[in-house]
Amino acid sequence: MPFLEDIDIAFIEPCVADPGRVRLYAEPSRDLAEVLPYLNAVINHATYNKDGPSLTFMKEFRLITIYPRRITMSKAQNTTDAWQVLDWLKDLINDTYDRRGSITPVHGVRWRPTALQIYEWLPRTNCKACGEPTCLAFAVKLLLGERTPQECEPLFLPEHASLRRAFFEIVAAFGYPAPPGYPAPPGT
Amino acid sequence: MTDSTERWGKPVCVPGDEDREQERGSGRGLAGSMTDVDIYMDNAATSFPKPEAVIEAMADFMRNVGASSGRGAYRKALEADKIVFRARQAVARLLGVADVLRVVFTANATESLNLAIKGLLSPGDHVVTTSMEHNAVWRPLKAVERTRGVTISQAPCAHDGTLDPADMEALLRPNTRLIVMTHASNVTGTLMPVAEAAAIARARGIPILVDCAQTAGVHPIDVERLGLDLVAFTGHKGLMGPTGTGGLYIRGGLDLVPLKDGGTGGDSMLEHQPEWLPDRFEAGTLNVCGIAGLGAGARFVLEEGVERIREKEAGLLRRLLDGLSEIPGLEVYGPRDPARQVAVVSLNVRGVPAEEVASRLDREYGIMVRAGLHCAPCAHKTIGTIQRGAVRISLGYFNTEGDVDQCVRALARIAGRLSEVRLHADRS
Ligand SMILES: Cc1ncc(COP(=O)(O)O)c(C=O)c1O
Ligand code: SF4
Repeated sequence: MPFLEDIDIAFIEPCVADPGRVRLYAEPSRDLAEVLPYLNAVINHATYNKDGPSLTFMKEFRLITIYPRRITMSKAQNTTDAWQVLDWLKDLINDTYDRRGSITPVHGVRWRPTALQIYEWLPRTNCKACGEPTCLAFAVKLLLGERTPQECEPLFLPEHASLRRAFFEIVAAFGYPAPPGYPAPPGT
Repeated sequence: MTDSTERWGKPVCVPGDEDREQERGSGRGLAGSMTDVDIYMDNAATSFPKPEAVIEAMADFMRNVGASSGRGAYRKALEADKIVFRARQAVARLLGVADVLRVVFTANATESLNLAIKGLLSPGDHVVTTSMEHNAVWRPLKAVERTRGVTISQAPCAHDGTLDPADMEALLRPNTRLIVMTHASNVTGTLMPVAEAAAIARARGIPILVDCAQTAGVHPIDVERLGLDLVAFTGHKGLMGPTGTGGLYIRGGLDLVPLKDGGTGGDSMLEHQPEWLPDRFEAGTLNVCGIAGLGAGARFVLEEGVERIREKEAGLLRRLLDGLSEIPGLEVYGPRDPARQVAVVSLNVRGVPAEEVASRLDREYGIMVRAGLHCAPCAHKTIGTIQRGAVRISLGYFNTEGDVDQCVRALARIAGRLSEVRLHADRS
């Protein structure tokens, strides 16, 4: 019997950062906490956040975060693509678990998103409410630790509800302080 | 021969093999009496019976899921999505396709072939095909000939349906935009030199479209290894699924104009069909119930193994061909060699019209075969039966040696030669 038997998609919606793509939550059939540091060692460009705990990485153009009981994926091409990638991930998790005796777990950050990647989850209106001239400038300062995610007030407007959810989830995955309640529970 | 029956579970329509033999021995066959036990030998039209798992998957979907795929975030809709994905994955695996997204579902091979031919060919293009094609290839080609001025060259096949790839290569022109050919003839079962044709196509940078209606599930095909660009399949023959299912494999980097435009679910904001597969070619609510059945059928084939299915069918075919060869007055078409064909045989009984043979097989012996031109006038022209047609016997994975022997005896009877013939089946 494999370590992880199943990953099931629990929620899917158009991607806030790219409306032509989809964003989804999936639920693994068992807790993945113990395997995350091993996965961090196996996946080259991943970030392990021990406070989550969570592991975030890009699979080509898709952004994936694995929590113990939840997996989120942004920018999947469509449902078929999402299922295919989740199958790949399941196999990777099982293979990593089987080989964990010969893998040295890594608990640190191995990859950080670029400002451009962060920018995709901002409102992209350049409204200057945060005091920065552009959203991209805000993203740069955020990565430098000179700004906090909450300082982008427009994110809290009702029309940006899903963007806000995705944004805080991503910044939290990278260990930036996110407001209480983020990442949000599955399916919210 | 009980192995497949056991594996397959409890068949609905067909009793156990021993029972079948007993029933046939007493109530039918050589006595020519009507009987309630039928022998289905029209598997080239559609396979029958279907594995129990196929029926269960469809009933389960209808009863417990019901939702359409790609259209909602509630759990039943996600379940429908998953069913469709698993079906796509099983078919991709069977065809040797790594990227599941490249498999697009359609209503049948005919729609797939229309999509490929009409989605690819433009005015002034030239296309090369063979003289053994089904109308599902030939008519779309004739349609684009008329509407777009596409020109067609037909590579001539031998009387047994075989094709020399050099004859195909000789027809290529600078404006040849597509090679399209069947993988196996639905009239003679003849396997076509798809690997050689693919190599020729690749060397010239011409896409190749292969019609796998007769081979998917019963003959191995490794689409990516062969470098095929487009592969049409139908769900209701060798893949053991229901009618109304099929699909097209489209190589990465090859774009087609969609046959239809419309809703695809998640991306409603876009004003045009999305560019990504499979959504680009799947406008409209999918046949999820059918696809559930197709998925179960494809998984059945994967579990049994295509090699094993091919082996069993080749064994039955060998027995059939041996039996037929002992009946004088039969004309048997095709290679007559299980290594060079799938389990489809066409024949005529000298002096008896094909329709009459088929009708007598059915009425007097309960054996279902098909007479006529089998939607493939090109192929019948090639084998020389365009005027009178032929009787086509097509075996399936669930046929038995007993079925084959019954069929041979019945044909011997119809040919009026039974007393002269010592059948293989009687000697063994
Ligand atoms: C060689 C061949 N091509 C295409 C088809 C068309 O398949 P369908 O009727 O499922 O579209 C068939 C069977 O009918 C066939 O035998
Ligand atoms: S407040 Fe937010 S939306 Fe406005 S410029 Fe700053 S980052 Fe962009």
